[in-house]
Amino acid sequence: MNINPVLLKELKVRMRGWRAAGIIILYLLVLALVTFMVMYESYNNIYTSTVDPGRTTGTYTALALIQLVLILFVAPALTAGAISGEREKQTLDLLLCTKLSTRSIVLGKLLASMSQVLLLIVASLPIFSVIFMFGGISIAEVAQLFAFYIIIAITAGSIGIFYSCYLKRTTAATVMTYGTGAFLILGTFFISYFYIGVFLGWDYQGFFPLLYTNPMVGFASLLGDQFGYGIGSIGLPGLRGSTDGRLLGLSPWVVHVAFDFVLTAVLIALSARKLNPVRVKRTRRNAA
Amino acid sequence: MLEIKNLVKSYGRYLAVNNLSLEIPEGEIYGFVGPNGAGKTTTMKIICGLLAATSGEVRLDGVDVTRNSNKIKESIGYMPDFFGVYDDLKVTEYLEFYASIYKIKDKEKKKITNDLLELVDLTQKRDAYVDSLSRGMKQRLCLARALIHNPKLLVLDEPASGLDPRARIEMKEILRNLREMGKTILISSHILSELAELCTHIGIIDSGRMVVSGSVSEIMQKVYSHRVLRIKVSARVDEAELILKENPLISKLSRMEDALQAGFEGSEEDMSRLLAALVGKGIPVVTFSQLDGNLEDVFMRVTKGEEKQ
Repeated sequence: MNINPVLLKELKVRMRGWRAAGIIILYLLVLALVTFMVMYESYNNIYTSTVDPGRTTGTYTALALIQLVLILFVAPALTAGAISGEREKQTLDLLLCTKLSTRSIVLGKLLASMSQVLLLIVASLPIFSVIFMFGGISIAEVAQLFAFYIIIAITAGSIGIFYSCYLKRTTAATVMTYGTGAFLILGTFFISYFYIGVFLGWDYQGFFPLLYTNPMVGFASLLGDQFGYGIGSIGLPGLRGSTDGRLLGLSPWVVHVAFDFVLTAVLIALSARKLNPVRVKRTRRNAA
Repeated sequence: MLEIKNLVKSYGRYLAVNNLSLEIPEGEIYGFVGPNGAGKTTTMKIICGLLAATSGEVRLDGVDVTRNSNKIKESIGYMPDFFGVYDDLKVTEYLEFYASIYKIKDKEKKKITNDLLELVDLTQKRDAYVDSLSRGMKQRLCLARALIHNPKLLVLDEPASGLDPRARIEMKEILRNLREMGKTILISSHILSELAELCTHIGIIDSGRMVVSGSVSEIMQKVYSHRVLRIKVSARVDEAELILKENPLISKLSRMEDALQAGFEGSEEDMSRLLAALVGKGIPVVTFSQLDGNLEDVFMRVTKGEEKQ
């Protein structure tokens, strides 16, 4: 089997030393601490009352949200320096002068970072499994959530790789990656609410299309579907809609996943194109 | 084997490479020399598919490099002037990583790695981390990396830069071995005297233009159409200078630190007559010799001694 050599090399290098173990320990500590606090708050009087499935969904939501936030922090950090780091270390030319295609370099880097995120997600399973003690959430639902995490991580990672290719410095790439993440989470909300408030009115009953691009909306929609409420139950303007915010009969999180796939594909293609020095210049010349 | 025709690379109005042409036959070692900023690295990067040319043609075995850069990369081994190494990677792992890029099978990979480490004299360091190696060792490892896929053409950009004298000699020895192995090599350097011993052909580039190109002896002939004499006297330098100035065969007389240097357009008999004239007038001549025009002189002469940063 022909495994991407960049991926193999990256895995070897990344897993060497204490850094990888340190990241996992820190990640799990944060997750465990938050889980403990949420569960303590929910179940501190567990022996005097009956188990309420509503509390399980509350804990599940809190855990799922914390994990999502952590992934959104970790994934860009792992990829924003992937290419610019090679440039800074003066190793990029050595890679580019080999027969390895720029797409393979980009994919190798992305997959290496994603496997590290995947490791964090898998390592968090024991903490997540406390949910099953109280029922209310099925394994299939957790699997669905984890698949959503992986897609979100790949998208965030692609944004990081994209800036890493286009910007020379890792610091600038990191700032821009987090900036784009912040725009997708907060910016799309502000723009949507500004537009709804000014042009559509607060009693707007539809699902505002821009919000399909928002990962938090996708996440809320996924959890809403899992709990059987639908995202419309949140009741916020822009998230309502006669069919519970569905485009073509699809839940917002499904549309968001499709958006992530398209965005990832475009960003990888643009990154590979940018990395190819001959291709970029030729295009510019033709344009001139 | 390598053919460059009218190569141009411009950055806005600045011409980094200006209508450069050169040809390197198979098995030859071509020394690419010129001051800093002359366009050597730019040309080399274009050959290796790391930079797009503005216009012109680069062909390797008749194949257009810019249009078939992926295919061409299998035939070229490139060693840049500045390069980094990966942390947390051992010497053998470093070479095996590049070997895997060229889809070399595991068994062969080990053999090639061992052979190359032996060639560059790094067998002892096979399990050392790459970033722990000295600069000279890293240069040699980078050369081994460039050879991992057994390329036809080696493009070496200042392989001896920043090395101490011992490391330079070691690098020179490796390059000599490569020449014996029949590799075609394009090598750039500021250490021209080193290139003279190694190269079969030399190209001198200045401000992006090829100033002189050809075999080492051809270049010497082109630049030095006459002999250069070096005369050292222990006293009466001014008188010696006057006698030389009066001689019609003498041109471009210059006073060096401890000797006089002059162009001389005459035969060997004329030279002995000049020496006799000096001695006859009581000038205490210590040394009277004909200089072999070395490449350093050629370089300074052709590039007019301009060092551009």
